[in-house]
Amino acid sequence: MRKAFTGLALAAALLFGGASAQNTFVYQTFGGIDTLDPAQAYDTASSVAIENIYETLYDYVGESVTEFQGSLATDWSANDAGDEYTFTLREGVTFHSGNEFTCADVEYTVERMLVHNPSDGGVWFLAESFLGTQANADSFLGDDATDADYADYFARIQNAAECIDDTTIQFTLDAPDPTFFVKMMSDVARIVDRDYAIDNGLWDGTEATWRDWIGVNLREYHLHDNASGTGAYELVDWDGEQLVAQRYDGYWGDTPAVQDVVVQTVDEQSTRLLAIQAGDASRVQVGDRATLEQLRGAEGVTIHEDPNWLSTTVGMVFFNSDINTDNNPDVGSGQLDGDGIPANFFDDANMRKCFAYNFDQQAFIDQVLQGQGQALTMGLPPSFLGYRDDLPVYDVDYAAAEEACQAAHGGAVWENGFEFTATYNAGNTTRQAALNIIKDNIEFMNPGFRMNVRELAWPDYLAYTDEGKGTMFALGWAPSYADSDYFLHPFYHSEGFYAGRTGIDNPELDALIDAARETVDADEREDLYEQVGQIAYDEMPMLPYPSPNEFIVTRDNVQGVYLNPMYGGQFLWKDIVLD
Amino acid sequence: MFAYIVRRLLFIPFVFIGVTVMIVLLMQLLSPAQRAAAFVSSDAQLKNLDAIIEQYGLDEPFHVQYASWVGEALQGNLGFSTASSEPVATTIRKRLPASAELALVSLIPVIGLGIWLGTLAALNRDRAIDQITRVGAIVGWSLPNFVLGIWLLVLFYGGLGDVLRDFAGGAFRLEPGRVSTEVAIQIANGTFPIRTNFLLIDSLLAGRPDVFWDALRHLILPVITLAATSSALIMRVMRSSLLETLSQDYVRTARAKGLRDQIVHFKHARRNALIPVITLAGFTLIFLLNGVVITETVFNYPGLGRWFASAAVALDYPAIMGFTVLTAFIVVVGNLLVDVLYAIVDPRIRYG
Repeated sequence: MRKAFTGLALAAALLFGGASAQNTFVYQTFGGIDTLDPAQAYDTASSVAIENIYETLYDYVGESVTEFQGSLATDWSANDAGDEYTFTLREGVTFHSGNEFTCADVEYTVERMLVHNPSDGGVWFLAESFLGTQANADSFLGDDATDADYADYFARIQNAAECIDDTTIQFTLDAPDPTFFVKMMSDVARIVDRDYAIDNGLWDGTEATWRDWIGVNLREYHLHDNASGTGAYELVDWDGEQLVAQRYDGYWGDTPAVQDVVVQTVDEQSTRLLAIQAGDASRVQVGDRATLEQLRGAEGVTIHEDPNWLSTTVGMVFFNSDINTDNNPDVGSGQLDGDGIPANFFDDANMRKCFAYNFDQQAFIDQVLQGQGQALTMGLPPSFLGYRDDLPVYDVDYAAAEEACQAAHGGAVWENGFEFTATYNAGNTTRQAALNIIKDNIEFMNPGFRMNVRELAWPDYLAYTDEGKGTMFALGWAPSYADSDYFLHPFYHSEGFYAGRTGIDNPELDALIDAARETVDADEREDLYEQVGQIAYDEMPMLPYPSPNEFIVTRDNVQGVYLNPMYGGQFLWKDIVLD
Repeated sequence: MFAYIVRRLLFIPFVFIGVTVMIVLLMQLLSPAQRAAAFVSSDAQLKNLDAIIEQYGLDEPFHVQYASWVGEALQGNLGFSTASSEPVATTIRKRLPASAELALVSLIPVIGLGIWLGTLAALNRDRAIDQITRVGAIVGWSLPNFVLGIWLLVLFYGGLGDVLRDFAGGAFRLEPGRVSTEVAIQIANGTFPIRTNFLLIDSLLAGRPDVFWDALRHLILPVITLAATSSALIMRVMRSSLLETLSQDYVRTARAKGLRDQIVHFKHARRNALIPVITLAGFTLIFLLNGVVITETVFNYPGLGRWFASAAVALDYPAIMGFTVLTAFIVVVGNLLVDVLYAIVDPRIRYG
């Protein structure tokens, strides 16, 4: 009987047992890849694939966001004015299609992104550098534009990138931009294969057709689910659900150790946790630290952690100084009568400080981040230029809070009380916790203070904050390129991204941020940003909540793991080894 | 009968118009900024909200949006699904066979188990076995799919995973997904050719028993999950139908003729008792074909249900429209087939 059973098992193994994938790195994540086209992609999941298939001219060194090394370029220089950048290109590089990498590919990549500049893509910050506008041609020129206007616009696009010779490319900017070099390390600047793109029906690079391609949805074209880059891995297939890539034998750099990579979208977290324990996944994405604890000590699983791995996403509790009270249920009566708040409720710095002094930083770190996080003094990751680690953070301080509250709006707030509702997007428990900590403390301080917290579905939250109806709300900001301007302008400038949602309008802050955009001198920029930090502390226009320490979960056999916050996948596949 | 079928088929376009108009009207209740959510996956994209609304025509009036969708749909273009990152038609072409494969394989134990247990319960009315079966059915019907699914995964993929992995070269492993990573790589690089997207069929066509078994063993846990819940209803209908049939005069006559119980039960009574079960089985298949959201999500099975769930959350308008049209088609045609089957099984039923 036993022999028969063994024989049956053996037969089953021979007939049905598949070959095991020995040298395959399987990454299970949630949130599917949006697109593989660098000119369209603007999400972390897409970055995971794009950063391994395509390459930029320069790239980061390991975990550093301030040290760089040549990738498709071997040298670079900028003119004194800071509006002209020249790169020497690497020779002997081939695309996955077999085409040779030349200067024409770099020129095409830049012109292509500026022509398309889809509204939901990430071209806008490079368009601003090259053309002085974040918008694409149609949006910038408007409905009344003439053919001459378009011709002039295209001439500026063509002027943006010029091949000096086969291995030298020169970029001409609209104005000096000290952030340009790091912007060119973002996904949107990854070099595409010109001939491959044109052969497969994308923009042919001519003025005759460019207007047909302005703002198009590139997800409907060939580079959406096909790719020919110069990266260490070439795309085998992506079916919208699962991506398979393999080591590119013609790669110009060191041969990667891992042969195949599979990226799987597994939305159910418990399934991912079982997969890493079973050894079916080499790496899994884990949503939060509380869940991470379930994996601690699991056989065969390694949790990679480092005190220096502080998240570069800055989470913020915003105060809206100019609330749109029109049909807005969250402002109650709309008056400072104890049953509502007026539109300018948060326009008073004392009011904002009253709330800020009610935020218990340590409780947030302990309860939400499981003790693994750091309080921020300003809306900037600590590793970025100009961060003020010498400033105090607004922490829970009932005496200071009471003093600020009593001073706010000439004492009317303390006397009359208030009621309003703060909002966050549904499912984001971190933002929910940040608001609830403030709510608990501020309601304890004065029985007339009533702060409600409610969630909104993401689409509603989008529309709601866009209309300026958010009173106090929580959102986050993650960098597309490693420069302080990417945080400070959106947060603190009166023309920044959040200005329409927060009503921020501080001429001093505007002047400092603008001045930092006009100089390439790093020391000068650091000084300007430090001054921004000081005003951000003094005026307290918005409250950053603590950033978490990041972690990575892999199987024991995955070696070479590091964390660079500028990579969607934290590390490049070419740098890891499977023991 | 033929005229009846033609009339029902002619009814389909009107159903399509009805459901699509309803969806577009419902979408109008949302503001353009809310509809733009499908294109905004990160906070940074909020920056260009107005441009996104303009680019995708999200502020166009109802009739313009509907006419545009119909115009494209008539040319075979159902739009682009941001939830699946590919055209809606492509997603349906790939995922419908996956859901159909799961549905058809599930239907065998769902019906088999339901009929067997229902018969067992009816023939042992009010005895212990009847009570146990009925309680079991209630438990099965009440148990949420995701609870049972996760239990099964924890038990067979987690707890017993090592045992199954070490036994027979892992040939009997029970894992989530549709195929193993090794087969997925073969599909991606073309080593294993996809012809129909029904992997059980494709593997047979390719002469690959290893892939056939690989796909089949990935179906085992989701099928058990679906069988445990869906067969409960069939079991209850089967039981009550058989009890009713057993009290009919012709059954009493058969018994009076001296026929053995087995012949009376299985040849005379059960055949007739199956009629309502067939109707229910038809509806069960329609339900399963539309994709079983929870089961597909827990087992990471790339079917229609999981796609639609993510599309609905993201307000992926083209996907919602495409899925609705597909569902309407499946329901109308499925109902028609059930009616026809009903008439074939029971000659007393005629459609005029």
